[in-house]
Amino acid sequence: MLDVADLSATVRQRWPPRRPGARTLARAAVVAVLLLFVLLGLPQLLSLYYIDAMTQVAVYSMVALGLGVLVGRVGLVSLGQVAVLAIGAWVAARLLFATSMPYPVVLLVAGLITMVAGMLIGLPALRLRGLYLALITLMLAGAITVVLKNVNFPNGGHGFTGYNGSSVHIPPIRRPSVASGDPAYFRYAVVVAALMFLLAAAHIRTRPGRAWAAIRQSEPAALAAGINTTLYKLWAFALASFITGVAGGVLAGAVHYLYSIGFPPQDSITLLAVVLMGGAYSLWGAIIAALLLQLLPALLNNWGVSADWLTILFGIGVLQVLTTAPAGLADQAPKDLARLGRLLLALARRLAPSGGAAK
Amino acid sequence: MPSWQDFQPFIVSGLALGGVYALSGVGMVVLYQATGVVYLAFGAVGAMGALIAWSLIHAGVPGWAGWLVCVAFAGVVTLAYGMVFGPALAKRDPLVKAVATLGLTLVLFGLMDLLWTTSGGQSRGITLPTDNPAFMIGQIQVTWTQVIGLGVGVAITVGTGAFLRYIKLGTAMRAMANDREITATLGVPVRRVEAAAWLGCGVLAGAAGLLLADLVALDATTLTFLVISSLAATLIARLRSITLTFGAALLIGLVHDLLTPIQSLSTYNDMTPFVLAAAALLVISRRRVMTRSREEA
Amino acid sequence: MREHAPRARAAVALAAAIGMLAAGCSSSGSSSTSSTPASTQSATSSPSSTTVSTSQCGTKAGVAATGTPIPVGGIVTDQPGTSFTDIAFMAKAYFACVNANGGINGHPINYIIEKEQTNPAQIAAEAKQLVQSDHVVAIVGNTSILECTIDHAYWEKLGFDIVDSGIAPECYSTSNSAAVNMGPRYSSDGAVQYALSQHVSKVVFDQSNVPGTGYIGAGPAALAAAAHVPIVQLTENVPISDANSVAIKEVDDAGPNGAVVLNFTPPEALIILQAAQKLGLEDRVKLWGCSTPCNTDFLAQSLGPKWNSKLFVNAELAPPDSTNSASMSLYRAILHQYGTSVSGGVGSFSQMGFTEAEILVHALESVTGSYTVQSVNAAIKGVSGFNTGMLCQLWSYGSYPMHIPNNEDWTVTPDNGKMTTAQGCTQISSVDPQIAAYRKVAGVAATAP
Repeated sequence: MLDVADLSATVRQRWPPRRPGARTLARAAVVAVLLLFVLLGLPQLLSLYYIDAMTQVAVYSMVALGLGVLVGRVGLVSLGQVAVLAIGAWVAARLLFATSMPYPVVLLVAGLITMVAGMLIGLPALRLRGLYLALITLMLAGAITVVLKNVNFPNGGHGFTGYNGSSVHIPPIRRPSVASGDPAYFRYAVVVAALMFLLAAAHIRTRPGRAWAAIRQSEPAALAAGINTTLYKLWAFALASFITGVAGGVLAGAVHYLYSIGFPPQDSITLLAVVLMGGAYSLWGAIIAALLLQLLPALLNNWGVSADWLTILFGIGVLQVLTTAPAGLADQAPKDLARLGRLLLALARRLAPSGGAAK
Repeated sequence: MPSWQDFQPFIVSGLALGGVYALSGVGMVVLYQATGVVYLAFGAVGAMGALIAWSLIHAGVPGWAGWLVCVAFAGVVTLAYGMVFGPALAKRDPLVKAVATLGLTLVLFGLMDLLWTTSGGQSRGITLPTDNPAFMIGQIQVTWTQVIGLGVGVAITVGTGAFLRYIKLGTAMRAMANDREITATLGVPVRRVEAAAWLGCGVLAGAAGLLLADLVALDATTLTFLVISSLAATLIARLRSITLTFGAALLIGLVHDLLTPIQSLSTYNDMTPFVLAAAALLVISRRRVMTRSREEA
Repeated sequence: MREHAPRARAAVALAAAIGMLAAGCSSSGSSSTSSTPASTQSATSSPSSTTVSTSQCGTKAGVAATGTPIPVGGIVTDQPGTSFTDIAFMAKAYFACVNANGGINGHPINYIIEKEQTNPAQIAAEAKQLVQSDHVVAIVGNTSILECTIDHAYWEKLGFDIVDSGIAPECYSTSNSAAVNMGPRYSSDGAVQYALSQHVSKVVFDQSNVPGTGYIGAGPAALAAAAHVPIVQLTENVPISDANSVAIKEVDDAGPNGAVVLNFTPPEALIILQAAQKLGLEDRVKLWGCSTPCNTDFLAQSLGPKWNSKLFVNAELAPPDSTNSASMSLYRAILHQYGTSVSGGVGSFSQMGFTEAEILVHALESVTGSYTVQSVNAAIKGVSGFNTGMLCQLWSYGSYPMHIPNNEDWTVTPDNGKMTTAQGCTQISSVDPQIAAYRKVAGVAATAP
C-alpha cells in the first residue's frame, strides 16, 4: 500500500531536480514553438473580434490554472474563484486610477493583496474538508458578491472605493503604454499568462507539488509522513489566489470598464465545470478550460447559436467527466486520438491491396 | 436606530422568508440523509416544473392539472437522474456527487432560458387560490399561501424525521446512505429504496417550486439559485438534522428582514445567509476537523 | 459497480447528441426564440384598424429589393432575466417590410444583430466585429445596459452616429448617440414629476442596483428638491428574492401621504407591487409610480383592478391602446405580418424598435450616391423635426455634444387589464440639470406636434 518512508523521502528532495531527460526537452520545445506562434502568428491571422476573445482566453487560463492547482493537485474544490478574480480586478483598477504605477507593479501588487485575501479565507477553512470546504467557499463567494454590489468597482471616483455613482462619462481603465492596442495587449496578456504557468509548473515540480500529491492521495498518510499539511494547503490557496489576482489585473486592462454584474456567483459554477472538462490535473487542461469558457461562446455567437446551448453543454460535460473521464479532456483527448489513430491504421491495413501486405 | 414598531412588520415578513428557505433546505437535507447526495438542482427542477405549469395554465388547462404536471415533472426528472447517475457515482466522494448535481442544474437552467424567453419584458406569475388574505398580524396581512408554505415546511420536518427513524423504508434509506453495499448484502432491495428516495425528493422539489414561484417570483434565475441561500441553513445544521435546518432557515429569514429598516446595513442584508453559514461552520469546526468524505464516512 | 458506468455513459451521450442536433436545427439565430409556443405571449394582438397596408413602409409597393445590401448593425443585451431582443427583432421586421416594398432605392437593408451577456469584453469585441467583418455603415437599435459606456469612444473615432434605446448614461451625454426613449433617469423624472404634481408630501424612489444608480437618482433628487418635498433614495439587489421586506420598507418610508416610485424591469416591479397587494399595503400610500418599463399590458393584466388609478406609469412612447395614428396602425400591421420573432407583441419594446428603424429608413432615403459610413451617418445626423408618430415630439439628431431628443412623456395607469392615458404629453422639467443642458444646446428643438 502506501510506504510512508518512501513518501517522506520523495517530498524532501531538493531543488533543482535531476537533469531533464529528452522527453522533457521535447515537450519544452513544443511549448516554446506554440508560444511563439500564439505571440507572433495569431495577431496576424485573427480579426479584432477573435483577438479580444483570445485575450479573455489568456485571462481565464490563469483563473483556471489557479482552480486546477487547488482541485487537481491538492484535491480542494473552491466554488468561489470568480469572487477572488473580482477582488484582484478591483485592487488593480483602484491602483490604476489612483496612482501612475507601472503596469507590472500594479499586477504584482494586485496579485499579492489577493493572495493575502485568499489566505485569510483559506486559513479558517482548512479545518473543513471535501464537501464542506466547497460549500463554505460558495458561501464566502456569495458574501463577497453582495459586498461588491454595494461597493462597486472603481470608475475614476475618489475616496477608498473610487466609485462615482453619478458619473455621466466614466473614464476607461488604462493599459500599459507599450500595449494600448488590442493585438499588443493580447501579447501582453499571453506573456503574463506564460509567466504564471511557469510559476505553477515550478511549484508542481518541486517540494510543494510532491507534498500536494501526497495530501491528495491520503491526508492522514501525508500527516503521518511528517508533511505539514496545513502549511502546504495554505500555500496552495496562496498560489491560486496570487495567480487569480494577477489575472484580475490583466482583466481590468482588457475590458477598460468593470461592473459587479460581470462577476455573478453562477460563473464560479461554470468555471468549475470547464476546469473539470478540460482536466484539472494537467496544465494544458487550464488552457482547454479557458478556450471552452471564452472562445467557444465567441464562436457560437458568430454562428447565431444562443449562449444557452453552451450552458447546457457545460452541464452535460460535468456529468460526462465525473462519470466516465475523471481526468478531463486533456487526459482523455490524447488517449482517444491515439485509439482513433490505431483504428485508422488497422482499417488502412485491411483495405491495403493484398499484393504486397501478405506473408 | 428604528423603534420596536418599525421592526414588527419585518418579523412577519422575515418568518415568511424563513419558510421559503426552509422548504428547499429541508428538502435537500432529506435527500442527503437518504442517498448521501446534496441535490443542488432542487431549485432548478422545481423552477422548470413551475414554468411548465404556467405554460399549461396559460394555454387553458385547469389549475390543478398544471400543478400536478409540475410535481410529476420534478419527480420524474429527479428519479431519472437518480437512477442513471446515482449508481454510477455511488462509490465516489459526496463532493463529487454534489458537483454532479450542479451539472444537472446547468442543463436545466440553459433549457429554461431557451424555452421561456424574457425578451418582450414578460413578467410571468403563478397565482394559487390560497393567495387570499388569512389574517392580520399588526398592520400586515398574511396570505394562506404563506401559511401553507410554513406548514409544509413543518410537516416535512416532523414527517420525514419520523419516517426515517420509524418506518422500515425510511431506515432502509438511512442505511443505504451510510453504506450501499452492506445494506444490499442485508437483503434490502437497494434499487427500489433508492428509487423511492429520489422520487420522494423530486415530488417535494416540484411542490416547493410551485409554492416558491408564488411566494418569491416565477423567474428561472431567482428560483434556481435560491438553493444557495437555502444551503446556508443546511450547512448550519451540518447536513444532519432536519429540525435544525428548519430552525436555521427561519433564523436566516428573520435576521435578513430585521436588518432591512437599519439604514446603514439595509443593502447588505442579502449577505445574511452566507455570513451566518460561514460563521456557524467555522465555530463548529474549531474543535474538530469536519469532513464528509469516503474515508471518514 | 462497473456495470452502471456504461448506462450513465449512454445517457450522457444521448443527451449530448440530442443537444447537438437541436443546436444545429436552431442555429438560424433569431428564429429559435419564436419556435416554441410556450414562450409567445400575445405575439399577434388583434389589430384595431388594419386598413393600412404594410406596403406603406417602402417606396415601391410589392417590389422586392434586389440591389447590393446595405449592412446595418445593432447590439442588444440578451441574458437570463434581461433580454431586449424584441427591439432588434422589430427593427428587423420593419426592414423586412421595406425590403419587400422597394428597399432603399432598390437596395435591401441587411440588419445584423449582435447579442451580448453584459460582458464588457464581449461587447467591445462585437462592435469591432460589426465594423471590421460585417462592414456596417450604420449602428441602429442598440439596447444594452453597458454598450454606450464601453463603445462610445470607438463609435466617435470611426464617425458612427448611433440611434439607440438608451440605458447607460453615455447614451445621453455623448455626441454620437441619440435615443428614441428617455432612459431610466428621465423616465424616472417623469414618474416622480407626476407624483409631485399630485401634491404628495414625500417621495420614496427605489431602483434596481445596476450600474449608474447615482446618475439615475440625481434627476428625481433635483425635482424633489425644487418642489421642497423630501425624497428617500433606495436600491435593491436584483433579482429580488424577498419582495415583502422591500414593499414594507417602501411603504413605511413614504407614509400615508407619500408616493413610492419604482425603477425596475417589469418582472421585478411586478413582484414588488404584488407583494404590496398581498400584504395589504397598496392603499397605505397616496400613490405608486413607475418608470417606463412598467408600461406593458402584461403588467396591467397581472396586477388586477386594485391598481386602477393607483399606479401611474411614465410612458416614453405613445400608448398603443389610446392612439390611432397612421404610424400606430402601420406598426401593428408590420408586427402582424413580419414580426413573428417579436415575442412580446404590442408594447414599448417593439415600439422602440419600430421607431429606430423608421428613423434610419428616413435617413437612408435622403442619401444620394453610394451608401458609405460617411454618407449614411451624415444623413442620420441631419435628421431634423421628423414625425415618428410614436413620440410626443418631433425627433431630431443634430450636432450637439449630448442628446436627449425625447423629453416629453405621457403618464398611463392600469384600467382593468389595459394601460390607459392619465395625462397627456408633458415636458420633463428643466429642473433636471441634464435636461436643462440639452434644451440649451439644442435651442428650441423640443416642440410638441
